[in-house]
Amino acid sequence: MSPQNYTFMFFGFTVAWLIIIVYVISIALREKKLRQELDRVKRMVEEGESTRR
Amino acid sequence: MRLKIIVTLTAIAGLILAWNLYRIFLDVPDEASQGAIFRIIYFHVPAAITAFTGFYAAILLGIGYLIRRDLRLDSIAASINEVSLAFALITICTGSIWGRVIWGIWWTWDARLTSYFVCILIYFGYFMLRRAIDDPTTRARLSAVMSIFAGVEIVLVWKSIEWFRTQHPGPVLEIRGGGGMAPGMEAPLWWNFLALLMLSTALILIRTRQETMKIEIDGLRRHAHAF
Amino acid sequence: MRFLRQKFLGQTLAIAAKDLRSEIRGKEAVNASVSFALVILLLFSFAFDLEPEQIRDIAGGLLWLVFAFAGTLILNRSFARELVNDCLDALLASPVSGAQLFFGKCLANYVLILIVECISLPVFAIFYNVRLPQRLALLFLVMLLGTWGITVIGTLFSAITVNLRLRELMLPTLIYPMLIPALIGAIELSRALITGNQLAESLFWFRVLVGFDLIFTILSLALVDIVLVG
Repeated sequence: MSPQNYTFMFFGFTVAWLIIIVYVISIALREKKLRQELDRVKRMVEEGESTRR
Repeated sequence: MRLKIIVTLTAIAGLILAWNLYRIFLDVPDEASQGAIFRIIYFHVPAAITAFTGFYAAILLGIGYLIRRDLRLDSIAASINEVSLAFALITICTGSIWGRVIWGIWWTWDARLTSYFVCILIYFGYFMLRRAIDDPTTRARLSAVMSIFAGVEIVLVWKSIEWFRTQHPGPVLEIRGGGGMAPGMEAPLWWNFLALLMLSTALILIRTRQETMKIEIDGLRRHAHAF
Repeated sequence: MRFLRQKFLGQTLAIAAKDLRSEIRGKEAVNASVSFALVILLLFSFAFDLEPEQIRDIAGGLLWLVFAFAGTLILNRSFARELVNDCLDALLASPVSGAQLFFGKCLANYVLILIVECISLPVFAIFYNVRLPQRLALLFLVMLLGTWGITVIGTLFSAITVNLRLRELMLPTLIYPMLIPALIGAIELSRALITGNQLAESLFWFRVLVGFDLIFTILSLALVDIVLVG
């Protein structure tokens, strides 16, 4: 088959994998951000409760 | 427990995809008229079916939320929609590349590509709607209503564009080159579909946990500010 | 049974009359909408430089794009006008059901958008030298059917977005993909009528329009209470 065809095929597969990888990375980044936020808010609650006591 | 499920699913999906990649490149012969690019179908079609299944599963969950009012259902629905959106993007990107090779144009307004594009626009709107609402209950309620509309809409859009295309013919992405795929060639398609389904389930589980975390953070923040 | 139906209709018409009366006195939305339609027609005239043959071919599409864009201005105001002084809360607390409120507003919006369309159509015909079809009544029927589709979806999403920030931005973004089947149907039928082609092959689009209108009217009436109240 023509080499051009193969180039596009690899291009196609790459694009598909790229989208999946970018998406997974975005999920991972969101995870990190959420964990930081969760820790921050938990600390806020604890501080609030300790100052009340 | 959950982490184990996620890891197992991803691992199995990875194995199937790797094995399939081998099958696709080495075992399956080149298709007669289209050549090598035909193999893109092994990603294009499974991604399309995964996206579609996801969207409709999310709609059912949306209806379930409206009946049960359980916020977890909404979290799962939103996660499914997000993952399906990613797969819909894969569908039209691979479809576009396929089209570029076959007809030399990057885009055509055929039924499948256009319907998926409309689908993507509708679900972009869905996520925009979710972003604009702060209250989780209202967000869940309105998202569910929007999904129901989206579900009915997508069927109508597909049918109208199909008919539009029979009146104004244009290029159509053909799966079946001659009249059906040779039996040897069809199997990797369904294996890939299984792999993508497992991968998407793993991603959905992760995303759902993130959504639940968000609700927990919201609750805690409100608790903290109450004093 | 008849009593119930009368009551439904009575209150629906009361809501529609209220909206229409307020709009006719103020004339804000219709003026803005008509001006917008004229501006779009003007801009399109710069965008395209076509032979009369070609213009007749795209006339259907042009017309419905103008209708859809101008209609959005009216639809946006639909529920938004009730936010002032908590009118929306008062309406929801009243004996008027969500479905009646919704349907009344649909009727009012329908009339207003049709007014804008009836003003835009002759202007369009003059600007673009398009001779309107003999079968003007059929074109009007297409306008009636297509506009109802735009109205129903637009009014429901106006209810969904009423309490959101960036409402004016979100409404068009949400409803235009939803309107595609109705717009395709209306465009195809208008094109067939304006270019004088045989209508027989486009009859499918009549079914699409009617189907779209029926399905989304029923769906909206069923879901609007969930949207407005919860």
